[in-house]
Amino acid sequence: MKPAKILAWVAIAVGIIYFFVPLLGTFEFSLRMRRGEYSFDAYGSVFSDAAFRATFGYSMLMALFTIIFGMLLVVPTAYWVRLRLPQMRPVVEFLTLMPLVIPAIVVVFGYLRLYNSSSYIPFTGSIMGTNILLVMSYITLALPYMYRSVDTAMRTIDVRTLTEAAEILGAKWPTIMFRCIFPNVMSGVLSGAFITFAIVMGEFTMAALLNRPAFGPYLQLVGANKAYEPSALAVIAFAITWLSMGLIQLVTRFSKLAPSRA
Amino acid sequence: MSFLVLENLRKSFGQIQVVKDFNMSINKGEFVSFLGPSGCGKTTVLRMIAGFETPSDGTITINGTNQTRLKTNQRNIGMVFQAYALFPNMNVFDNVAFGLKVAGKPKAEIESRVREMLKLISLDHLADRYPYQMSGGQQQRVALARALAPKPQVLLLDEPLSALDAKIRVSLREEIRQIQKQLGITTVFVTHDQEEALSISDRIVVMNAGRADQIGTPSEIYNRPATRFVASFVGTLNIIEATVIDPAANTVKVGDNTIILRESIGALKGGDKLSIALRPEAGSLSESARGDTALSGKVISSHFLGSVIRTKVDVGGNQISFDMFNSPDAVMPREGEMLTLRFNASDFLIVRE
Repeated sequence: MKPAKILAWVAIAVGIIYFFVPLLGTFEFSLRMRRGEYSFDAYGSVFSDAAFRATFGYSMLMALFTIIFGMLLVVPTAYWVRLRLPQMRPVVEFLTLMPLVIPAIVVVFGYLRLYNSSSYIPFTGSIMGTNILLVMSYITLALPYMYRSVDTAMRTIDVRTLTEAAEILGAKWPTIMFRCIFPNVMSGVLSGAFITFAIVMGEFTMAALLNRPAFGPYLQLVGANKAYEPSALAVIAFAITWLSMGLIQLVTRFSKLAPSRA
Repeated sequence: MSFLVLENLRKSFGQIQVVKDFNMSINKGEFVSFLGPSGCGKTTVLRMIAGFETPSDGTITINGTNQTRLKTNQRNIGMVFQAYALFPNMNVFDNVAFGLKVAGKPKAEIESRVREMLKLISLDHLADRYPYQMSGGQQQRVALARALAPKPQVLLLDEPLSALDAKIRVSLREEIRQIQKQLGITTVFVTHDQEEALSISDRIVVMNAGRADQIGTPSEIYNRPATRFVASFVGTLNIIEATVIDPAANTVKVGDNTIILRESIGALKGGDKLSIALRPEAGSLSESARGDTALSGKVISSHFLGSVIRTKVDVGGNQISFDMFNSPDAVMPREGEMLTLRFNASDFLIVRE
């Protein structure tokens, strides 16, 4: 075997050890709740905890709203930029990257200043309002990933010609959007949705500072007060993320819609 | 009677005027081709008819109704795009049905019309296929059926054959023409391929720099080009420089040859320069070097091109290409040999700028 190849394998082995040993350690530790033998007691304890179910369900619901409203914002924006405002593309790309540059804590403090109960738009004055604000903040956080996945999917179809083809057949804007464009960027929409789901399920800062009962703050709370359950929760959180990534791969690979030959 | 009328159509993008005072009347059921090089404005005119571009000035009338300010989806026009533009998420049936569904037609009517259209393009057995499962030629036929399904007033074809290979291109263009005749639909076809335009059009508009240089039947365009541009763009053409000898007698000199033109050159003076066009296939070899429609010169080169032998002859400094049909007995002219080419008086065309 050539030295370069050996070095490549060594690098892969180091990478695997670096990523998997802590995970295996966490998993192994999560099985040690019962003295002297391995068991899934910690997982049982986590799943039987009412707070787990409540926070997990809450975050799932928030993730669902984030995906729906995020996509309703991102797909038409990406479409419009591609079709009518291509010169604005660098600006929109820059804007969608902002959440990666500005720390979440800065964003949430900005929200609290702008939308507190004594402001003109008092989102935090009610539970419903705070939930809306939380969804909006999640949309902001997920924007870089959502926009890119949808924009990449749009690149595989000839948006302009498809739009013109639909228009000349008598279609109006909503028909063009929902029957001609949306279904053809579905792989991008789903990829963006799964990434968003993974982000929302693990998000802590926004939910904690807006004082909402989400899964992220629950993870932190359990981590601070219990021994084995945090490890079980960490493994569960990893599983959710990996499941989402696996689904992205599946959607991309088995997407039956081949790109238009434009 | 004129069905589609384009009057004083102009279009500018910023400071650049891409269509300049374009006027044309197209009869019902007529097949008109816009022919010209890239950037001549032919696609822009087509897109203005479709409603994708708004004219800077002028009007577009279809069947007596002014369409200029109507939106694309209000015009009832069918269009086939160069890039097929089938909806990738829909199968053939749904693609063809799209316009009918948008128009809110009853289900039974949609079903029968789609079946009728698929039969017309001979693809009724592929109704369940998706675009990515079909060849380019099949996709373009589906695109044609989709455009025709809602019974449009006018059919626009934007270089629909450009993305196809040569053989499919020929068969599909014949199929398009046959369907167009069968349905009697007024059609505007944009192409930069002269052979395509000449072979299937009732009339051709040769466009140059945003203007229609000539509008005429394929025969008129080919045999009587109105401008130097049309002459050089359509077919292969020899442009030779001649000197006027006697304007009253229509005689000019090309090298040592004196020829008599059929067209009047009475407006010119003796000694004036004149451009004359000659098709390579117009002449024939002659034994005699004399005659008022004969040109003599030295062979520069001779090439065997399969069906024809193309010979270049130097006539008084003008290089003239001359084609003769190939046959087993044909003898290729030798380089340096003196040849006399005889033409009909009507073959000499005076070229205007």
